[in-house]
Order: sequence, then structure tokens, then C-alpha cells
Amino acid sequence: MPATRAVARRTLADARRRTLAFAYFFLAVAAVNVLGYRKSYPDLAERIRFARSFGDNKAVRLFYGVPHDLLTTGGYAAWRVGGLMSIFAAMYGLLAAVRALRAEEDTGRAELVLANPLSRGAALGGALTGVLAGIVLLWVATWLGFVITKLSVGPSAYLALATVAPAAVFAGVGALASQVAASRRVALELGSAAVGAALLIRVVADTTGGAGWLRWITPLGWSEEMRAFAGARPAVLLLPLAATALLLAVTVPVALRRDIGSGLLPARDSAPPDHRLLGSPTRLALRLERASLLGWLIGVGLFAFVIGVVSDSVSGIGISQNLQKQLEKLGVGAVLTPSGYIAFSFLFFVLAVALFCCSQMAATHKEESEQRLETLFALPVARRAWLTGRLLLAVAAAAAVAMCAGLLAWAGAVSAGADVSFGDLLGAGANTLPASLLFLGIAALVFALVPRASAGIAYGLTTVAFVWELFGALLGAPEWTLDLSPFHHVRLVPAQSFHVGAPLAMLAIAAAASLAAVLLFERRDLTGP
Amino acid sequence: MTAVQAEKLSKRYGDTLALDGLDLAVEQGEVYGYLGPNGAGKTTTIRLLLGLHRPSGGRASLFGIDAWRDPVKAHRRIAYVAGEPFLWPALNASETLEYLANLHGSIDTAYRDVLVERFKLDTTKRIRALSKGNRQKVQLVFAFATRADLLLLDEPTSGLDPLMEVAFRQTVHEAKERGQTVFLSSHILSEVEALCDRVGILREGRLVDEGTLAQLRHLRAQTIEVTFADTAPDLPPLPGVQVERAGHNALRFEVSGSVAPILQAIADRPVLSLTSREPSLEEIFLHHYDSSDGRAGD
Repeated sequence: MPATRAVARRTLADARRRTLAFAYFFLAVAAVNVLGYRKSYPDLAERIRFARSFGDNKAVRLFYGVPHDLLTTGGYAAWRVGGLMSIFAAMYGLLAAVRALRAEEDTGRAELVLANPLSRGAALGGALTGVLAGIVLLWVATWLGFVITKLSVGPSAYLALATVAPAAVFAGVGALASQVAASRRVALELGSAAVGAALLIRVVADTTGGAGWLRWITPLGWSEEMRAFAGARPAVLLLPLAATALLLAVTVPVALRRDIGSGLLPARDSAPPDHRLLGSPTRLALRLERASLLGWLIGVGLFAFVIGVVSDSVSGIGISQNLQKQLEKLGVGAVLTPSGYIAFSFLFFVLAVALFCCSQMAATHKEESEQRLETLFALPVARRAWLTGRLLLAVAAAAAVAMCAGLLAWAGAVSAGADVSFGDLLGAGANTLPASLLFLGIAALVFALVPRASAGIAYGLTTVAFVWELFGALLGAPEWTLDLSPFHHVRLVPAQSFHVGAPLAMLAIAAAASLAAVLLFERRDLTGP
Repeated sequence: MTAVQAEKLSKRYGDTLALDGLDLAVEQGEVYGYLGPNGAGKTTTIRLLLGLHRPSGGRASLFGIDAWRDPVKAHRRIAYVAGEPFLWPALNASETLEYLANLHGSIDTAYRDVLVERFKLDTTKRIRALSKGNRQKVQLVFAFATRADLLLLDEPTSGLDPLMEVAFRQTVHEAKERGQTVFLSSHILSEVEALCDRVGILREGRLVDEGTLAQLRHLRAQTIEVTFADTAPDLPPLPGVQVERAGHNALRFEVSGSVAPILQAIADRPVLSLTSREPSLEEIFLHHYDSSDGRAGD
């Protein structure tokens, strides 16, 4: 038992930065939504108007799920916080489990642990306990976010539980993926595909007539069906519990039996030489990143297609005139036409492409943290040329992801018979780029200045800026603070016309930051892990 | 021309002074052994020579080219083997060799094939599936196949088995015969003793001793053991000689410089045998680290 406890503590401590960042994020989103709702819709009349306007708006459901009670603060929080944050909870569970299990084996640390007098079961139990402790922390943080804004304590705990429950299920998925795959990267790819599928099923269930039953087959749907603050159904909690138990029941015997370091999928140790894309560091980066790029293209393309399809079901008919005002309060603009709805949705693709840019810089930093740059820069390779090439590759890949979103949204809309123009939607795709590239520039600058913390800072800044854009206006924050978020300067193309000023400014800042990054990187010591 | 030069080279990391005013010069064609225990500053020296880290003071240059200001130009003439082989896990060994060769610009492919054979490297294996020793071989094959003017080797044989160690020594000899310069950082003393023309000993960021093996030995005490027919006599104190008993009928002398005083003192005693031994590199090395102050023995 002491050994199990030691492993559990180590697991929790290893993931402390990420866990604390998520906990803070969950707490903030919970509190901000409650405060924002109270401020924007202070009386019942306002709330009824708001509920009417949103009751049937399928388009908004795509991101937050189906609202069950928009007349109370709790009901609103359940919809907005539960609907959105359950997706992040799923990602957290997956990342935590893969880190605790597969990454430990990848680095060889698992062997070191198991060389001690403790059984595999004890080590596995310790790692899973550490993951569970992180999830509990996330739950408490979310709960705290509701409690400090004076939602009632008991139901808040239940809502926080509904929000965080997918973390447990996807920790189970991560644990199983860690048995199947022989590397952290592949385990994360498998797990991310599962999260993507769960989200896609929820989106279809929430937006397509007659498909509501699909909610019962996705862990993200279970969170909705728990109906916190709207006729709670605690029995639904059995579903995530059972799913987690089942996943662990499959995981444990495999984990106890297989060779340490191996996975169920055969790892190909030998390969005939493939001489393509070996000519320069940039070409090799393209070769090594192409699988991940393909994943992003498929994921973003799929969602863009669904958004295109759903956009046709949006219409202004029968919805009160007040809707415009309500939506403006949410910082959403006009979403009542297909192209308006797509324009609004593309704000999320700005986030996606920005996060993709962060992931590109994270991969760049990994070359340094895994010390391959020492091998590289002992060769006649200039640091300036290397980082410039890497940044240009990231720009090209980001452009591919952005245009893929535009193209697939158009294909989806056309297939559903919506009246949108090809050029408009390609424009919507291109419009996601300036803000995303701004984040690429910032991420590059952070990489040059504080390499070890760079990935965390880049992802963190991007997420905070996005959340601020979503909720800042709701809180009635002063305009200049909203202006701080690059997302605030993204025009909702094609619903709004494209103005060249802000994108140009963002691109100029991005270019300046990248240039500074290249010059600073050249002047600093290389760092280790 | 000087292949490797450090002038008053210092490097500070936060509060730690990793390298403290190092002066070093390795001439072309030399095989130079760079000795020191873990943490003495060997890898720091190499990182500064490669321009990976920026000197806090002084200057490092390769063939007269400043290592920090003009690394690319300097690196065209060198090849580097790191103590820890950090390569691209998804590539196989043959792809890795090709990639590194593309970046270096030129490689002697015929010699590369000889080395692949000599080091028994399976080039179809992916890097991630190779043991540390095998990844080390990938680096060695590449570095020697470049035929670079200067080879910077940082503990290159850690992880190699004794057979491969033999192959490594053969390869270094071949490089030397071609006139290549080798800078070999190591703490494997037998390797340095077998390969190096000149040796520098590093301690806490400073060079505490340097010279050819013969020079180093000359400065150190040699050990003379004398066995007598009966109980070893008590001798009067001899200048510059330390005496200790080694059993009841033997004496051990430690002497720097001339052995004449000892021979005179024992000339009329019943001496059965006399053995003289030069200090091994290990003794020289340990001598620098056993004493409490960094300058002992100089």
C-alpha cells in the first residue's frame, strides 16, 4: 500500500501544472457564466424572452447542447457550463491517463518503478488513483466556481459532477488506449478520435430531429441527460460509472499481462528506408508532422461539414425580434441565416486553428526538450534558417486547416441545400488565419524567451483570450479589456464584411513577433528537458 | 593551424561556474584526450565549442572560426558524437544517416558502408527500437564517414560493448592516419591511454594538468618497491622521497625526479629484488581528485 500511495502521489505531482490550469479554467468558466447570466438577464421577463429565442435554436445547441431550463441561473449554468466544459473534461481525462500510463512507459520510468518490490497491480492502481485524484480536484474546482457565485451548494455539486463525469470515462479510454498503442502519440491519437466521435454524436443528437436518442450512446450526452438544475436524474450517473468500470475491466488484465513497453498494436521496429523528405530540417518536420496534420484536417473538416449541414436548419422565422439583441449580448452577432450561423461557428475554428498553431510550436519545442537540436546544430545548420523554416511550415499547415474548414463547411451547406456561396465560405476559412497566426507569432516568441514553459503559456494564452471573448461581454467588462483578445477583432465573415485593418495589424504583429523570436532564439543557450 | 582553441573560456549557469577561464589548444592532427569526472565541465566545454551555448567570458574557436558567432562555417569542418544519442525516433538508421549526411553536405559513402559493416549496424531498424549502444553506433558511423577535419567526441563509447570498443579504436587510428584531429572527452582512462597523444585533465571547470602521457608521468611520482633478504632496514630521511613499509622485508618508495638517492641508500643492503613502475593514467587522474585543494600536485 505505501508503494501504491507513492505512485499515486507521483502521478498527481507530475501532472500538477496541467491539473491546476484546468481547475482554474473550470472554476473561472463556472463563476463567469453564473455572474454573466444574472447581470444580463436580471428579471423573469428578460429570461423568458431569452429562453424563447434559444429554445429551438439548433445552431447554438451544437456547442452547448440542449437547454432544459433557461429561466433559472442554475439551469442556464447547467446548459452553458455543463455543455461546453464536459468536452474539456473529456480531454483532461484522456491526457491525464495517457500521461500516467503510456508516457511513463515511453520514457522508461515505468521499468524503474516496477524494478522495486511492488506488483504491477499496485503500480497500475497507484497511477489510476493519481488520475482520479486529479479529476476530483477538477470537480471541486468547478463546484467552487458555482458556490462562490452563490448557487445552492447541493445541486451545484451535482452539476459539477455532471460536468466532470466525462473525465472519468475518457480516463478509462486513455487507459485502454495506453494498452493498445505502444507510444504516447498513438495512444493520444486513438483517444482523441474517441473524444471527437463522442462530440460528433452529441452534435448530431442535439441538432437533428428524431436523433435525440443518440445522446444515450455518448458520454457527453450522459452529462446532458443528468439534467442538473432541471429535474435532476441522478440514476443517469450510473452510465459513466459503468462505462468507466467496463473500460478499466478491459484495461487491467491487459496491463498486467503484456510486456512492459509494448502495446497490443504491433510496433513496426524495422522499415525499408524511405528517402523522401530527408533533405532539410523543414522537410523532415513535414514528414514527421504529416500524420498529425492529417488528423487535424479530418477533425476540423468533419466538424465544418456538420456545421454546414446544420446551417440550413437555422432560420429567423417565428423567432422574436428580440433575438438579435440577446445574441449581441452573447457577443454572437447575427446567426439567423445559414451564412450568419456559419460565420458565428467559424469563431470556434479560429480557436481550432490557433490551437493548431500552438501544437506546431509545441512540436518545435519538443525537438529542443528531447535534445535533438544538439544533434542538429552541431551540423552546419543555421538556427535562423531552422526556426524560419519551421514557422513557414506552420503557416502553410495552418492555412491548409483553415481552408479545409471553409471548403468542407461549403460542401456540407450545399449538400443540405443551403444558399451559401463558395467564395464566401472560403473567405470564412481564410478569415480564421490572421488571429491564429498572431498566436503562432506569440507562441514562437515565448519559445525563444522561456522554452521550458512555452507550450503551456501558448495554449493558456490562446484559451484565456477565447474564453474572454465568449464571456467578457456577458460580464459587462469594459470595452478596452475586450479589445485585448485577438478573437475580439475577428469579423464574422461572411455575415459581416471583411475589413482589412484588424487582420493586417494582427499579421503585422505576428510577423514582428516571429522575427523577434528568430533573432532571440539565435542568441540564447539551447536548453534540455 | 590550431583545430580547437579556448581562450579564458568561462561559462556560468545561474550560481554555478561550470567553466572557469579555460585555456586550451589542440593542434591539427592531434588526438587529444579530455579527462574529468562527471560534472567537471567536459560537456559544457563541448557545447561552447559547438556554439550551442554562449560563453559567459572568453572565446572558443574551431580552426580560427568563432564558435558562437559563426557556427555554421565552423561546423562544415567538424563532426560531433554526443554522449547521449538524441536522434529522430521515427526514422530508421539508414534514413537517419542519409538525413545527417544531407545536412552535413558531404559524406564518404564507401567508408560509411565499411563502418556500417564494422560496427554491425542494422540499418533497417527504427531508432526508437535501438538500444543506447546501437544508437551510439549510428552517430559514430555518421561522424567518421564525414571524414571531417575535426571529430568532437563526447564520451562516445558509453554503451558500446568491448567488441565495438575495439572497432572504435581502430576507426580512431584510421582517422589519425588520415590527419584528422580528434577531441575525445572521456572518463574511460584505458581508452584515453591507448588513443591519445596529449591529455588534459579538468577539475571543477579548470584545466589542472595537461601534456603528453610521458610528460604527465615524468611529473608524477614513480613507485619503486624493494625487497630485502631479511627485515627491511630503517633508512635515514631522503630528500624528495616518501618511504613506507610494505610487509616486514619490503619498502615502497614514491619519488619524483631522480632515483639516485634511493639507489645510494640501499646500495650496500642485501637487496633481493627491485621493481620500478611508472604511474598509470589512473593514478595521475586520481591524484588530482583525491587531494582536497584543486591545485595539488602542481
